Amino acid sequence: MNFDSVLLEHMMEPKNYGELESHNSEGIGKNPDNGEKVIVFLDVKGSEPRIEDISFQAIGCMTTVTAGSIITSEAKGLTFERAQDLIAATLGILDDVPPEEVACSEMVVLALKAAMDTYMERRKDSTFPVISYKIENSCYPQNSNLSEESSND
Amino acid sequence: MTRLMVNIHEVWLETLMAGFMASGRSKQILFDFSDILFRHFTWVEQYLIDDGVEYDYDRSAIPIKVEKLSTILADIAFRLRQIDIQLIVCNDDALTKRITSDINYIISTLDRLEDEDISAFDLSRKLDNYELTDEATDALTLFLFEESYKEYELIMIYNYLKVHTQDYYLIRIFQILIDESFFHLRSFGQMMADMGILGVPRIIYKELYKVENITEFLRNGINEEMLAKEECRKLSEAVGSESKELSSFFDCINMQEDYHIELMKRALEHFESRDNVK
Repeated sequence: MNFDSVLLEHMMEPKNYGELESHNSEGIGKNPDNGEKVIVFLDVKGSEPRIEDISFQAIGCMTTVTAGSIITSEAKGLTFERAQDLIAATLGILDDVPPEEVACSEMVVLALKAAMDTYMERRKDSTFPVISYKIENSCYPQNSNLSEESSND
Repeated sequence: MTRLMVNIHEVWLETLMAGFMASGRSKQILFDFSDILFRHFTWVEQYLIDDGVEYDYDRSAIPIKVEKLSTILADIAFRLRQIDIQLIVCNDDALTKRITSDINYIISTLDRLEDEDISAFDLSRKLDNYELTDEATDALTLFLFEESYKEYELIMIYNYLKVHTQDYYLIRIFQILIDESFFHLRSFGQMMADMGILGVPRIIYKELYKVENITEFLRNGINEEMLAKEECRKLSEAVGSESKELSSFFDCINMQEDYHIELMKRALEHFESRDNVK
């Protein structure tokens, strides 16, 4: 990890951490290897859905929390269309990173995607359960081919 | 009363953080006050349990980044005044009188503490008297962020388990582990302040302390302590060539983990033999 001042600030005071008091969607990204997970809370507004507010909580390491702080800061205020671009771009960047270093950021991005997908499903069915996605990469390289997805947590 | 407990939780942590920022006599006074406020927290928690009130350890983020000590002391005093007002909902007269009395004394003392410039957020990542390589500094930085949170988490988990058991053997073990984690949190927090990277430990996920399966929790906890030992060993090696003093500190923490593991094993054996917690 390259500890520049921006990164240190995110570590000292993670942005958007904790459960959002008023939220209308949530989603989970999890690492089935070790029980680590990230939950993203969204307050979505508008007919063209836009992330009015966002927060996250994590059972995970400092890298996960730092990634959550950065990615949720980027996502706040975006329309779903732009947020999808953010997710695609982040996953694209992570393609070039060794798998064992990707897991934490991937978990956050998948939690964001899960929260957005949950919101879209709840437009059709307000009782739709929280969507949970499992990461493909792992902190543990020997189990790095996991890609299972579940819609119920 | 749940709001009261949350507010005491927040001011306890803020006062502890102010202790890390302060120097000399003020530091010890603030640490003593944070200890008192933690006790208030546990007493109000017990009141809620006795009253059958559902509660958790959620709280708001606590902004602590200040340039002058007086700024955070003023905020602590403000929060304490709010708590004093909120005590109106407490039906335990003895508890109310005690907390009110402490609050009045703490506020009057805070008002007399000397102001100081704060360097706990300057991002210097340097420890006085130690010349660490960039690699050792990076390893220490990550370790301090990971472990300061972990110690706070352990304090809260063991506290939650302690107040939800009637078994004195387990209460004793949990209290030892709480006390030990306080020492670790104090040590790591002080290093973070000295390195200019002080931060409040993040909020704990509910399922970590609202433990459904205590034996599984203890088994996982033993494994985590083993990992923590390994982290201490690696860090001791990383800083060993630059500082024997720092290296021996992490060796000491490493050895302390051995006793924690032993206590957790005993708690596990005891718990498995007497299914009486929770």
